[in-house]
Amino acid sequence: MNRRELLKSLPAGALVPTAISATVMPSAATEKQAPGAGSGRAQTSGTNPGVYKVSNKTFDNPGAYDGIHCDQFGIGTDGKPIADNLTGTGSDAAPKGQSHKMTLTQEEQDILSGSQGEVMAKVLKTIVMHGELFGAERLADCGGAPHSSLYTGSPWVVPVLEMFEEIADAGLKAHAPYTVNPMPLDLYSVGQDPAKRNMMLEGYPLQGRLIQLHTRLGARPLDVWSCACYLPEVGNTAEPGTVVSWAESSAVNYGNSVLGLRINRMATGMELLCAVAGKVPVFGMLTDEGRKAKWHIDVKLSKEPHWGALGGAIGTKVVEQVPYITGIDQWIGMQDGKPDLVAMGKLKAMGSSTASSGAVGLYHVENVTPEAQVQARALLAEGHQTYVIDDAEMERVLGTFENRWKDPNGDPTAVYIGCPHNTYDEILYWAKRLNSALRLKGQKQVAIPVIMACPIVVRNRLLDEYPLLLRDILRAGVKFTTICTPGYQGLKGMADIDRGVTNSNKARHYSGLRLFGDDDLIQIALTGKLPA
Amino acid sequence: MAKKTFTGRVILSGEITGKATVSKQPFNTSGSYVENMFGGRTDAAPCTDAANKELFGKDLAGAILCTPTTVGSTMGGMALMGMKSIGVGPEALLFSKPIDTLAAAGVLMAEIWKEQRIVTIDMLGDEFLETVKMGDPISIKEDGTVQVG
Repeated sequence: MNRRELLKSLPAGALVPTAISATVMPSAATEKQAPGAGSGRAQTSGTNPGVYKVSNKTFDNPGAYDGIHCDQFGIGTDGKPIADNLTGTGSDAAPKGQSHKMTLTQEEQDILSGSQGEVMAKVLKTIVMHGELFGAERLADCGGAPHSSLYTGSPWVVPVLEMFEEIADAGLKAHAPYTVNPMPLDLYSVGQDPAKRNMMLEGYPLQGRLIQLHTRLGARPLDVWSCACYLPEVGNTAEPGTVVSWAESSAVNYGNSVLGLRINRMATGMELLCAVAGKVPVFGMLTDEGRKAKWHIDVKLSKEPHWGALGGAIGTKVVEQVPYITGIDQWIGMQDGKPDLVAMGKLKAMGSSTASSGAVGLYHVENVTPEAQVQARALLAEGHQTYVIDDAEMERVLGTFENRWKDPNGDPTAVYIGCPHNTYDEILYWAKRLNSALRLKGQKQVAIPVIMACPIVVRNRLLDEYPLLLRDILRAGVKFTTICTPGYQGLKGMADIDRGVTNSNKARHYSGLRLFGDDDLIQIALTGKLPA
Repeated sequence: MAKKTFTGRVILSGEITGKATVSKQPFNTSGSYVENMFGGRTDAAPCTDAANKELFGKDLAGAILCTPTTVGSTMGGMALMGMKSIGVGPEALLFSKPIDTLAAAGVLMAEIWKEQRIVTIDMLGDEFLETVKMGDPISIKEDGTVQVG
C-alpha cells in the first residue's frame, strides 16, 4: 500500500498532524466535539470595523510588529546588551580584518570590470562587498533555484523596486526560474470582507508593480508562490549540499536543516541580487565550521510537544546559534531515510518558530536531519552549551505567550491555520477533522471563518484527491487562501477588527494571534467561543 | 566631558558631526520604523520599538545611531534603504560590534544603487558604547575615527 492509499484508508483521527492534539493555552476544554453546543454562524460580537484611511498619520496600531521579542532584543541585569554579537548569519560569521578581500575568478573580475554590462557589475559589486564584510574567501555558484522574500508592495519598498527594475531593464534575470513568498493580500477569499479588502489594497498599493517585477526577473507563476517553497507540489528543492540563494527565514531554516542545502540568512533584496548573479559569497552556514552546533538542546518531554511552542523555546534561548536537538526523533516518522510528509509539517512548525522567536537559520535533529544522520554528535562544537527542555520548562515557556488582543476578553473572530503555508497532509488533516466535527454536531457551518493558508497547487491536490471533502468544507465556511498570515495580520487597523487564533507559533510571534492546540481550535471554529 | 577617540572598521566613510542617538541594546531596524513602513509617515521617524526603552518614541530621522549591531526581521536591510530614500534614515551607523548581514545589505544597496550614503563604521569596541551617551557630541572622520565629547 503506498502512502496515498494508506492516508485514504485511515480515519481522520489516525492521521498525525503538526502539533497533534496539543493543548497549548491553559484550557479545561480539551474534549472533542461536544454535541449540542449550538449551531449556525455566530455573530462576531464586539468587533468594530471602524474606518481605515491610509492617509491617517496617527500611529496607534503597530499591528504585526507590536510585541515581537526575544532575548536578542534585551539588556541584561548587568546593564549590558544581550546577544549583541549577532551577525545575522545564523552562525556568528566574523570579519577577517580591516581590509579582507575575497579571491575572485577571472570571470568574476571581468564582470566587475563591466564585461556583462554596467548593471551586472553593480550587482556583483554589491555581493562582493557584502561577502567581504563577513570574511568570505570566495564566491560559490548557485545551484537549484532561488527563493525571494521580496513580497510586500508597500510604498517604502520603492527604492528596492527601482533597484530591481533597473536590473530588469538591463535584460537581466535570475539564474533559474524562482519562487516567491506568498502575497500579503488575497482579494478572492479573505478579501471578500470589504473592510479587509480595502486594508489590503491601501496597505500594499504597489503589489501589482511587484508582481510585474518578479515576472520580468523570471519568477514562476503565482500558483506556486509560497513561503514553503520546498513543498513537493511547489518543488523548489535540491540535493543536499547544494548552495542556493534563498531568503524567507522559515524556508532558509528548513532548507539548511531538513534538506541539507547550504544557505545564508540574507536580508531581503540580497537573495535576489545573488540570484541574478548566480553567485553567493561563501561564509557562515555555507561553511562546515559555520554549521557546527553551539547548543545541545536536550528534550526530555513526557509527551509529543506542540512543535511551534518547542521551536519558540529553542529560538528564544539560542537566538541565532545552531542547535543540535536530541530526544524528539521518537515523534518524527522517516521514509527512505528522510522525514516523511507528516514529519515535514512538524519540522516546519518547529523550525519556523526557532527562526521567528530567535534567528535560527539551521538546526540539527539527532537521527533525523541529513547531517546529523552522518555526523551525529560530532556536529557539536567544542564548548557548546546545553539547554534542557522538560515538561516544567515547556510550561514556563507557554506561560510567556501573552494575550495581545485589543479586547482581551472578546470572542475570537477567525481561525488561522498554516504559517508557514500548510503542507498537503496538513490541509487534509484539518479538512477531515473539521468535517467530522461538524457532522458529529449536526452543524452545517463553522461559527467563525477558518482561514487555511497554502499555495494554490496544494489546494488543487486536495481537489484532485478528495473533491467531495473539499466541497463540504468550503460549504462549511473554510476559506482557502494564499496569503502570508503575518503580512495580512500586520495591516494597519487589522488588530482593531480581528481577534484571531492560530496553530502557528510563528504567526503568534509576529501578530496579535493567540496560539491554541488542535482540539481547542476545532472547538473554537465550531462555537466561535474560547474554551472554558 | 573629556573627549575620547575610537577607531573602527570603515565600511562607508564620511565626515559628520552631530549628536549621538544611543541604543545600548541591539537596534531592531524593522521594529523601530513601523510608523514609516506601515503608517505612511515621512516627516519624522519616531522609534516604534517598545522593547527599546532608550529610543522608544524618539525621532530617528537623521540620527547618528550608536548601537552594538542590528537585529530583527530580514526586511531590516531594505528598511534602512527605504528610510534613507524617504528622508528619515540615519546619517550614520556606529557599531561597537561587527556589522550584521541586515544592516550591511541595507547600507550597501542604498550606496551602490541609490547613491545615498549612510556613513557606517563597525567594530568600534565595547568601550565606545560604554562611553557614549544620548546627545553626546560626535565627530566622525574619513579614516574611521570617532570622537565622542
